[in-house]
Amino acid sequence: MAAPGDGVGGVCKHHAQQDVCDSRAKYREGRRPRAVKVYTVNLESRYLLIQGVPALGVMKELVEQFALYGAIEEYNALDEYPAEQFTEVYLIKFQKLQSARVAKRKLDERSFFGSLLHVCYAPEFETVQETREKLQDRRKYIARATSNRVHFVVKKIQEPKKTVSKNSEHNFQPETLGFSAVDANIGNWDPSACCPYQPSCEFSSRNTACPSGGHFQRVLAFPQYVSNCAETSASFCQSKPWTRSAQQGGYTNTPVSLVLQRKVPSDNGIGRFMPRTTQLQERKRKRDQGNQIDFIGIDSDSTKVIIGPQLPEIPKVDMDDDSLNTSASLIRNKLMEVAVSVPKSFGEKPEDTQTKRSLKQRRRI
Amino acid sequence: MSQKQRDLLELGRLEYLQALVTEFQVTESPEAKEQVLANLANFAYDPKNYEYLRQLQVLDLFLDMLTEDNEILVEFAIGGLCNLCLDKTNKDYILEAEGVAPVINCLSSSNEETVMSAVTTLMYLTTPQSRQQTTALPVVECMLRFSLSANRRLSNLARIFLQDYCSPMQVEEARNLSKHTAVGIPLPKD
Repeated sequence: MAAPGDGVGGVCKHHAQQDVCDSRAKYREGRRPRAVKVYTVNLESRYLLIQGVPALGVMKELVEQFALYGAIEEYNALDEYPAEQFTEVYLIKFQKLQSARVAKRKLDERSFFGSLLHVCYAPEFETVQETREKLQDRRKYIARATSNRVHFVVKKIQEPKKTVSKNSEHNFQPETLGFSAVDANIGNWDPSACCPYQPSCEFSSRNTACPSGGHFQRVLAFPQYVSNCAETSASFCQSKPWTRSAQQGGYTNTPVSLVLQRKVPSDNGIGRFMPRTTQLQERKRKRDQGNQIDFIGIDSDSTKVIIGPQLPEIPKVDMDDDSLNTSASLIRNKLMEVAVSVPKSFGEKPEDTQTKRSLKQRRRI
Repeated sequence: MSQKQRDLLELGRLEYLQALVTEFQVTESPEAKEQVLANLANFAYDPKNYEYLRQLQVLDLFLDMLTEDNEILVEFAIGGLCNLCLDKTNKDYILEAEGVAPVINCLSSSNEETVMSAVTTLMYLTTPQSRQQTTALPVVECMLRFSLSANRRLSNLARIFLQDYCSPMQVEEARNLSKHTAVGIPLPKD
């Protein structure tokens, strides 16, 4: 195994932002100014490097921002990475390549706490196994996309190209079969290569496929963590840097054990995005529950038990947050005080209308 | 988006790609050539475009560019091939057109993106029939050295090539051979 060289944790040429091309012909201009660059599967990655993050302790906000585009598996600050003054560099690893793609597209060159982020893929942080999976995913994707395509073309174009596309369709099946057989022969490696695409099973099948553990450098690719093969198999189960960083962010995943986490990637709730409608529904449900309790006669605030029917109170809004609830109840109590004090001071004339109006307003609330 | 551009997009995918190919052929500006080739190579990433790219013989265009002196053109062309060579029809076409040899030549480029695209392309072009060619002894030997590269991306790719596409015998043979020869193909600069 080669020593971790400048490829890991160091600056790579492809991290630098290329100059925008301003000499394009009009018809080739895109919506956004871009450099001249060709993307291949080699350049893509589930790892994103984020430069230009202001050093304001905004890691949580940054990770939340990125988690909008998909589940994040790992993240950490790259302290050794050369950064501009007062900025930090972060590494974020998504569970899916597609999330990384979208996040990069949406957040590159976006303003974040007053500075522009530069987001790029960081495939040099991949392990051999992760690179292998990336290449295989591309293979599966093309196989799926083009087999659909061939059927579609055959259906659609009946007359002129019939022979060509039919041929290609006929050839297609035996070839893929033959090839996966070859994969199994020479590679003796990945049993999932022959299976249909099953994203959710991948993690567990990976575990069984790799008895040596040699490719499981779960460590966060800091040079000092990248030890040799033998060590990584031991550190696989501990993987301290990972769990620690996950806790720091205030994310809800409990650091049970890495193996468990990997087997149920969809259940760990890391940075899961909850749509607003769901949140509102949840709130409504809680409110309804609260109302029911009121009808039964158990006041949720005080512990005294009231016998007999009780008039329904103004429904209390659960704000989903302790401090918000506290301030809400403070406001509510204050209003109650005011409401009680109003009838006492009924005699005064000039304030009369005012208080009445405020009373009405409160009712509307 | 300008009105003109919108009009051109409405011409449809094929016409747009045709316009690119035409510009590539007629332009005198090397800069425009690079830009258009990059465009085409990026279009080659999406399987939706394969049918059109074949019609316009963009595969031949990419293969031709592999032997250019301009390293940027070579980088973009091999990137384009890397993007489209997984498709069965495209793969057959490239193999038929004797495309493996120029791809292997790219392994000795001093541009690391070119080298990495070439390694991946060779993996993707490997079939039971083409295996002899894509995993020839000099290639395996080359991968052995790449697997020791300080560039993590390159070493990862080379290791996958050795582990998944070569037999242990081939690797052993190449290892013995490289012991005896002092000079090989140089590693790409940075």
